[in-house]
Amino acid sequence: MPRGEEVMGTGPLVGFDVVKDYPGFRLECSAEFRAGVTAVFGKSGSGKTTLLNCLSGIERPDEGRIDILGRRVYGDSPPTHLPPERRRIGYLMQEGCLFPHMSVAHNISYGHRLLPPGRRTVGTAEIISLLELTGLLERPVAGLSGGEAQRVALARALASCPDILLLDEPLSALDAPMRGVIIRYLKAVRAKLRIPMVLVSHSLSEVLALADEALVLSGGRAIAQGPPARVLVDPTVGALADYPDLENLLDGRIVRPSEGPRSGVVRVGAADLEAPDVHGRAGEETTVAIGAADIIVSSVRPQGLSARNVVAARVTGLHPVGVRTVAYCDLGVSIAVELSPGAVSELQLREGSDIFLIIKSNSIKVLSPG
Amino acid sequence: MNVVPALAVSWLLVKRRLPGGFVLDLLVSLPLALPPVAIGFFLLLLLGREGPFGRAANALFGSDIIFTWFAAAIAGAVVSFPLVTRSIMVAMGGVDRRLELSARTLGAGPWRVFFTITVPLAYRGILAGLLLGFVRALSEFGATIVVAGNISGRTETLPLAVYSNILLGRDGQAMVLIGITIGLAVATLAVHNWLLARVSISRESPNAAG
Repeated sequence: MPRGEEVMGTGPLVGFDVVKDYPGFRLECSAEFRAGVTAVFGKSGSGKTTLLNCLSGIERPDEGRIDILGRRVYGDSPPTHLPPERRRIGYLMQEGCLFPHMSVAHNISYGHRLLPPGRRTVGTAEIISLLELTGLLERPVAGLSGGEAQRVALARALASCPDILLLDEPLSALDAPMRGVIIRYLKAVRAKLRIPMVLVSHSLSEVLALADEALVLSGGRAIAQGPPARVLVDPTVGALADYPDLENLLDGRIVRPSEGPRSGVVRVGAADLEAPDVHGRAGEETTVAIGAADIIVSSVRPQGLSARNVVAARVTGLHPVGVRTVAYCDLGVSIAVELSPGAVSELQLREGSDIFLIIKSNSIKVLSPG
Repeated sequence: MNVVPALAVSWLLVKRRLPGGFVLDLLVSLPLALPPVAIGFFLLLLLGREGPFGRAANALFGSDIIFTWFAAAIAGAVVSFPLVTRSIMVAMGGVDRRLELSARTLGAGPWRVFFTITVPLAYRGILAGLLLGFVRALSEFGATIVVAGNISGRTETLPLAVYSNILLGRDGQAMVLIGITIGLAVATLAVHNWLLARVSISRESPNAAG
């Protein structure tokens, strides 16, 4: 349960109704966020970052209102516009934006030290251990990798004990293994600190992996809101049409690391999957990426296949989207599979059908920095 | 003398979009374009015995500003103000706005952001601007001779002394003083350029993606 609900009963975490005009662009958007992690999803130019800047107080809307945890931070009557430093928000920008003239430790404590002691709900030590930053503390910021810098920036934002954390494309500047690492840390933050988050992203895969709810923006307007698994395959939203490479980013645990040319094994949900390049120790948590189009569905258990992974699963939802159909399947976790409509009718797939998923080991990417 | 007003004006012009900011910008740069003698004349009107500041000084301290070393310092400060301010504006403009915004979201008010983020990140450029102002003030002649006169041993700045020596036909002494001026200017400009070179090195992307 997100902290907002504890404080506010059933009231929304964030409620807003804002208008902001630019030459050639207008953001006109109203919504309420209730879930633990709400994703704001849309193409670049859809108004995502503008919306986040309005919520944070960096930009001032032309009209409307914004409430965060029941507190009015922007409004017309009476005219209210709290500056960012008084909104109790954490804001993680795309590239971390660490202060280059301070050490890692000093960066992390920057906001924390500005708090009155009574508002220090989390200590920096707890955050440093949660994000495993102990080894970096005395380093100058200039020597950090992109992933390390982003983790420090996350710690810095959390240490200011915000009511809500705003994240602007926190993964977009990172390569794939680092993305997996940061996703795990974000999940750890969500689980341990119970801090509500608003995540801006243009990646379907990230939204599916991280968000409890998604708001879809297009041309400055909200066109849909709901659970990501439903909203993103909604044909009227058309989110999938622009994203040919939907990837499942799943929590996994290393069962057996790779040894030389021999592939390793990761457990995802109830399934043990063979995969190449499994780096790390047995028992270690990781993120596993499987392309939705790289999975084959069979209605009977196949035999005599070269594919290494055959997994029993159950269809939980079928969504025709344009020329494709997305099937959500349950194998202990939910996984999205892309099919052609012909395959759906030939296999007589319905919700509740028991099927087998066939996944080549080379289609499974274990996102651990190796 | 220039530090506080130059920082304040730079901040106003670079970090705030002031209505009428371009007028302020123009006023700041004006001494650069005017003949220093004209500035000296304006200062004479303000600081002279009948001017508002001259009267105030007389009432408070029982002494004049005009024809003192302090008047020479004011003349130097006013004439070099545009150089200092423009250098500091460039330095502050080079500080990534997202760093300042990040600090705001972490709970720091505008003042704290200015002193903990903007100034520390721009300090080389600020120092370089002050040095540039220093050499300019050192070489100041036109405004100084109007407000400070050229009183031997009291308000005799380097260029004024050079001028006296030339008038008196003491070319050798004039040459020595010019040599000292050149030495000071070269040394200061060398430090100035070194500071600015360090700025461009430290700006090279610290956290590249990867």
